[in-house]
Amino acid sequence: MTTTAGPSARIPFYRDVRVLKWVFQVGVFAVVAAVLYWLWGNYRVNTESSGIPTSFDFLGQPTNFDIPGADFSPQERVQNAYVIGLLNTIRVSVVGIVLATILGILIGIGRLSSNWVVSKLSTVYVEMVRNLPLLVILTFVVLGLVLQAFPRIEDAWTPFGWLVFSNRGMGLPWYQEVSGLSLLVLFAFGIGGWWALARWRHAVSDRTGAPARSGLYGGTFLVISVVTGWLVLGGRIDLPTVDGPRVTGGIGVDPSFFAVLVALVVYTASHIAEIVRGSIQAIPKGQGEAASALALSGFQRMWNVILPQAMRIAIPPLGNQYLNLIKNSSLAAGFAYFDITNVTQITVGNGSPAVPAFTLALMFYVALSLITSVFVNIANRRFKLVER
Amino acid sequence: MLETKRALIGLLSVMMLLVAACTSTEGESETTAPATGETVTTGNGGSESTGSMLETVLENDMIRCGTRDALPGFAVLQDDGSHVGFDSDFCRVIAAAVLGDAEKVEHVDLETADRFTALQSGQIDVLVRNTTWTASRDGGEGATFLTVTYYDGQAMMVAADSPYQSVSDMAGSVVCVTKGTTTEGNAAGESARLGLDWEVRPFDDTDLLQEAFLAGQCDGWSSDSSQLVGLRSAYPDGADALRILPEVFSKEPLAPAVLDGDTEWAQVVNWAIMATIQAEEFGITQANVDEMLNSEDTRIRSFLGAEYTDSDGNVTVTDPGLGLPTDFAYQVVKQVGNYGEIFERHLAPLGLERGVNALWVDGGLLYVPPYR
Repeated sequence: MTTTAGPSARIPFYRDVRVLKWVFQVGVFAVVAAVLYWLWGNYRVNTESSGIPTSFDFLGQPTNFDIPGADFSPQERVQNAYVIGLLNTIRVSVVGIVLATILGILIGIGRLSSNWVVSKLSTVYVEMVRNLPLLVILTFVVLGLVLQAFPRIEDAWTPFGWLVFSNRGMGLPWYQEVSGLSLLVLFAFGIGGWWALARWRHAVSDRTGAPARSGLYGGTFLVISVVTGWLVLGGRIDLPTVDGPRVTGGIGVDPSFFAVLVALVVYTASHIAEIVRGSIQAIPKGQGEAASALALSGFQRMWNVILPQAMRIAIPPLGNQYLNLIKNSSLAAGFAYFDITNVTQITVGNGSPAVPAFTLALMFYVALSLITSVFVNIANRRFKLVER
Repeated sequence: MLETKRALIGLLSVMMLLVAACTSTEGESETTAPATGETVTTGNGGSESTGSMLETVLENDMIRCGTRDALPGFAVLQDDGSHVGFDSDFCRVIAAAVLGDAEKVEHVDLETADRFTALQSGQIDVLVRNTTWTASRDGGEGATFLTVTYYDGQAMMVAADSPYQSVSDMAGSVVCVTKGTTTEGNAAGESARLGLDWEVRPFDDTDLLQEAFLAGQCDGWSSDSSQLVGLRSAYPDGADALRILPEVFSKEPLAPAVLDGDTEWAQVVNWAIMATIQAEEFGITQANVDEMLNSEDTRIRSFLGAEYTDSDGNVTVTDPGLGLPTDFAYQVVKQVGNYGEIFERHLAPLGLERGVNALWVDGGLLYVPPYR
């Protein structure tokens, strides 16, 4: 009996797993590349035949539109409008992320509260809001809250003369610039003092064992030094007032910014609350019991024992919510807020070519999301359990 | 064994795809199907008939006309799904001319900001959506504008009980407009010119703008005066709650548009539109068009595609070679009407007067090349 498959019998290449593995990889790549190449070719041919420009030259053209609330004239270039749009997207995203996180953590803790009313209210909030589409929430906030529930400018609500509420805009008190440089110097002085105080407190803490509380000491010093310095230099608080058809003075909050912010915060907070609740429940019960056994108060137990461990679990899914919030802010485009999407739509409506204009918007969103991811990853690394 | 077969088949199909992709993109003179699946010609004139939009339209036996759903007088979507208005009638004019049936129109409702993208992508054959003809749209959006159907201008509407009597009274006020229109730029420009420091707020659609206006978020509502008249007539608090200021501060020639690069189709649509104006000039109406077929005037018979005897004594029918049926003007007037009739039907009830949109013989701007 001779064996049929001798070592000398060569496997044909089309049955060789090593070859086939490569063929498949190359094949998949080729299909994807071919489809993209085909679409690209069509795009080129079609834009060329109908004379649509495909370059980014439109960025240098005048915009021909105005941006309310910004120092902007219709003669400025499209690229400047993009910058304002990008800044507005960042502004609503950053403020939204901070507020949504705070609200989300409060509601997440509230759901686990032993207080029946608090826990039921939190549950109702989460179950209501989480099951609504964001666009519906936003439309409701714009039509119901901002337009109807806020007073008209003629009878604007001005509590204590410090705030202005109307459906044309809100005004908050703001500091009056004394001089950019002097404020910067004050801040530098304050932070230097913080650093020195922190060193001193840590030394005291090392020697006596008393809590360092360097943040408390340093922060207080920073605030006091900046505020007194600013007042001494002649700084005054700029109060908002109603000036005919508009709110002037202080810092103005555009009604559409307010609406978008409220909708984003309310919506995202419901998701964050669930993440926080899940993360807290993932902490072993013994941790809370141990904290109670050490006679820590309810707040101390949550703040010093449970939350630090829960946040470790919560950070990666929180990062996802932050990315969602940034991307969802594009819904603002439908409600007169000049975010990057709105600027792109308007400039396209005024004659800029659609494909390059939206390519630019697309790249901005990708960049923003990647930058956010980097921050989330840094936070994740800092909070991760250090294993030795 | 089975796996190797699959691998081979897969490899083969990949190679075929690659080859196909290469040939179709390298041979650029061919008509290439764009991503939307519509045929767009790469040809450059009426001389080349292959792949023209006209052929596509004839093949589909339907014209896809980009329009809107809620602008009183111009295009309003009815409860039964039909469209009524000045622009909608011009869609019908094109269908009557090209396909011989005014009802062979698919009205595609478009948002203001999407209309040119719809035209570029081949979603629609023609855009009749009260669109202003401007240089940058001609150049940047790949649109070819045709005969102006309505000469408009931008104006300002305010609440009737507001103190504003003229545009220059409105210093520092909030002016609301619809997004993606020339209105934004005009308002911003007018504000800068008069030093009025307006806050121009653009809204996605007129419904939202109206809500904002009702709630007192806007002092002024700026748009083309024809639109303002229509919107005022449909205002929830009644037309008397609003006032249109006397100034008109821009030129807004509203014209239908087709995609660049297809002259034949552009000419066809153009002559269909111009036929309504020519018919009014000849005094041909929906009612008398059948009598006019036997008119003494050979120009009229030639225009309507009726037989007439030319100077050499031959009985003939005029066919200028536009690619339209010889009786297209007859079909247009018979099924839809002449320009004046369309105007009377949709715009006069809103309180709009002919003004500059009268025939040139009446001192207006409507003047079309002769049909011969």
